[in-house]
Amino acid sequence: MPRIHFGDWVESAVDWLQSHLGWLFDLVNVVLDGMYDGAVAVLGGAEPLLMAAILAVIAAWLRGLLPGVLAFVGLALIDALGLWQDAMDTLSLVLVAAVITVVIAVPLGIWAAGSKRVSSLLRPVLDVMQTMPAFIYLIPGVMFFGVGSTPGLLATIIFAMPPGVRMTELGIRQVDPELVEAATAFGTSPRDRLTRVQLPLALPTIMAGVNQVIMLALSMVVIGGMAGAGGLGEQVYSAITQLKVGLAAESGVAVVILAMYLDRMTGALNERVSPLGRRALAKAAAARRSALVHYRPAGAVAVVGVVVLALVAGGLNWAGSGDAEATANGRQGRDAGKTVDLGYFPWDEAIAATYLWQNVLEDRGYRPKVRQLDPGPLYSSLAGGQMDVQLDAWLPTTHKAYWDKYGSRLEDLGSWYGPTSLELTVPSYVKGVDSLADLKGQSAKFGGKIIGIEASAGMMGTLNSRVLKAYGLQGEYKVVSSSTSSMLAELDRAIKKKEPVVVTLWSPHWAYGKYDLKKLKDPEGAWGKGEQIHTVARKGFSDEFPELAGWLKDFKLTEEQLASLEVAIQKGGAGNEKESARTWLDAHPGIEDKMAPVS
Amino acid sequence: MSARLEAEHLYKVFGRRPDEAVERLRQGADREELRADGTTAAVIDASFTVEPGQIFVVMGLSGSGKSTLLRMLNGLLEPTAGHVRFDGQDLTAISDRELREVRAKKISMVFQHFALFPHRSVLENAAYGLSVQGVPRVEREKRAAEALELCGLAGWEKSWPDELSGGMQQRVGLARALATDADLLLMDESFSALDPLIRRDMQDQLLELQRTLKKTIVFITHDLNEAMRLGDRIAVMRDGRIVQTGTAEDILLRPAGDYVASFIQDVDRSRVLTAGAVMDTDIRGDEADCGCETATPETPFTELCAISARLSHPVAVLDAGRELVGVVPRQRLVGLLGDERGEAPACDRGEKVIARA
Repeated sequence: MPRIHFGDWVESAVDWLQSHLGWLFDLVNVVLDGMYDGAVAVLGGAEPLLMAAILAVIAAWLRGLLPGVLAFVGLALIDALGLWQDAMDTLSLVLVAAVITVVIAVPLGIWAAGSKRVSSLLRPVLDVMQTMPAFIYLIPGVMFFGVGSTPGLLATIIFAMPPGVRMTELGIRQVDPELVEAATAFGTSPRDRLTRVQLPLALPTIMAGVNQVIMLALSMVVIGGMAGAGGLGEQVYSAITQLKVGLAAESGVAVVILAMYLDRMTGALNERVSPLGRRALAKAAAARRSALVHYRPAGAVAVVGVVVLALVAGGLNWAGSGDAEATANGRQGRDAGKTVDLGYFPWDEAIAATYLWQNVLEDRGYRPKVRQLDPGPLYSSLAGGQMDVQLDAWLPTTHKAYWDKYGSRLEDLGSWYGPTSLELTVPSYVKGVDSLADLKGQSAKFGGKIIGIEASAGMMGTLNSRVLKAYGLQGEYKVVSSSTSSMLAELDRAIKKKEPVVVTLWSPHWAYGKYDLKKLKDPEGAWGKGEQIHTVARKGFSDEFPELAGWLKDFKLTEEQLASLEVAIQKGGAGNEKESARTWLDAHPGIEDKMAPVS
Repeated sequence: MSARLEAEHLYKVFGRRPDEAVERLRQGADREELRADGTTAAVIDASFTVEPGQIFVVMGLSGSGKSTLLRMLNGLLEPTAGHVRFDGQDLTAISDRELREVRAKKISMVFQHFALFPHRSVLENAAYGLSVQGVPRVEREKRAAEALELCGLAGWEKSWPDELSGGMQQRVGLARALATDADLLLMDESFSALDPLIRRDMQDQLLELQRTLKKTIVFITHDLNEAMRLGDRIAVMRDGRIVQTGTAEDILLRPAGDYVASFIQDVDRSRVLTAGAVMDTDIRGDEADCGCETATPETPFTELCAISARLSHPVAVLDAGRELVGVVPRQRLVGLLGDERGEAPACDRGEKVIARA
């Protein structure tokens, strides 16, 4: 069979698009970002409890008093979990994505209902949209649109579109043909036929589709968190990669609360919008005696409630905005006022260094923006110039793949920590295995498996191609590639049950502090020399920010400093990284001036 | 007076290459031959005319093509060949927009399963045709309410279709068709879905309305009794072709072929026939001179029997000007009831035979 180079074609197409249609992507970016920011400003601008009250009034209007109260309790719980802002970011993403999806999907569905050919052409496209793993277009999305809400929104729109189209088509096709014929027989034009007969009668089905769109959008937004679409997705994602099961569960609960709210509301909206639904509602209301639980405020009352609460929220915001401008301490840098985008992926040293620099830069009058991303999107956005700096480039091995691909479009600002080491590690209670050579003949003990991390990581390549060979382990052990978090979870599980396990690990890593582990010696030197952790910037960064580039080039941390900083951040807990780094800075006077000297 | 509606050699063929199929039908191919090729000839060479104020009934079993024929009359289906002329306008030659205009204002339709819009109230349903025409709300609600009243539904305006019984729903359907003041009503098995008593009521009401409104109506049915009751003229369809067109009496008394004849066996003749249809026009001239009871050509069959029973001689039939136009011997009445049209031969024994019950 000839090898079809489909992948190469896709890559060259992506390159071509990037260089030729940049303006289009920028436009899409501006529009989507604008919509998202607007939604965030509206939803996230108010006091959490006031906003929760507004959403609860809407729930009471649509479904009744009890659901309204429950909605308030649920939303208040999100606030109590400290996830309010993230939840509103997520809600904004979902709403923007859902609105755009519906605006596209419903006309497409109508079109498909009217023409068999369109329908059969559309079907495979919808199949692709629904089943193609989202990562495949999420990462190119980052190349085109940069990190942020846009790739996440687009991925969400693509994923959520099919049920919208399908249910619209189904709804319209389900309308009794005799009714359509009757409308035609009375001289109705095709357009009126659609708006007066088909759409009203198809509305319940279409609304079921809209409900599906919203639910799918919500599930996709979590994945969008990997590409820098903030909100609960980012929380879930970072919690999982750092193995913080508790935080992940909290974010998960928040997602579920939002999901239930949105699901019940769109369901009730159907009854409110469609003429048939309204009738059913009126019948039900007439049939049962009015109890307090079933009390539903009339539309006007609900509108008044929402408006009053919104005004109060607006007023509070206005009153509170006076002290928002924090003043710098006077020791400003030369480029003070400029925005710097710092990206990181959730590895501990990256979090530590990035939040440390965020504090320092703020003190110097810069406006640092910190964003968490997956390594792939982060490198591609640095290469594309949408991101300025990332502080955790492991060179030359671990990030070799990224460096080979993007190196020509990046600036290396030197290393700030090193050398690191890569190793295979076993828990200390595994006796008789102290070096890699000891693994030979012991595969039964470890089930023949070495628990690895992401297959794309450089150390996995080294392990497979050099280390196993050097010690004659190939064939005897199978390297299981999974993800860093799965590897850590497996390690944790094995230690709890005192089972033998061998994992790939590296230093510095917090696992060495948390568990009693044993690094396997490497007498052959197969892992190679240790790596350096570099600071990498986009091309042209040092021309634009000469002072800051200088600071970053001179940045160094000792093992002791990094360890204490990581411990401080671990102690502070998720969501408080910035404050924890500040505490550490305060406890280590002089470091700030060394990092960012101002004359 | 020229015909209001005229169908001229209408063909409708479903499937591939319909024009070719029409050509083959014209050359005498039959329906089965075409079916083997995957094409279906639904209507084959149908021609008829409908005069203003007439109820024209198309009668046929399911699959005979009568619904397809009806749908070609208002352009819901485009004829494969042939023409439909309505008030002198060729509906097969006009644009979609003009056709919609004709449907909105001049031709309305009543459906078998009522086809009421479930998301509109009874009043809104009745006003539908008017709202399509863009008649302002106040006026269209007034006219729709009048139409509902005409159909005996005053007071039900605010109800919803699914709260009504089948008969009432079809009254709404009828009101919807009448509200537009269309001249031509197409009724597609409109009473077939109703149970027999309600169907009788609806037929009576339609005839009642027709006496005052004088619409031109094309009525589709598979029920010959209904056809006989309603139709001024009846076309009988079989396998896509019209096999006979005529009045109820024509079809009863002179069925064209075995198919129609087998059909009319079940018909209650006494409800259809009148003195004019059964009388003997071969007269001497003095039959009415005795001063006994007489009949008119419109006298129904049952009444004629009653008169005949009170007389010792044939019943004389006089027209509006009290001119003698025919006589009805009792033997003919009995013969018609027994579907026996021959002359009675002389009895062998020449004695009176008294039947004992």
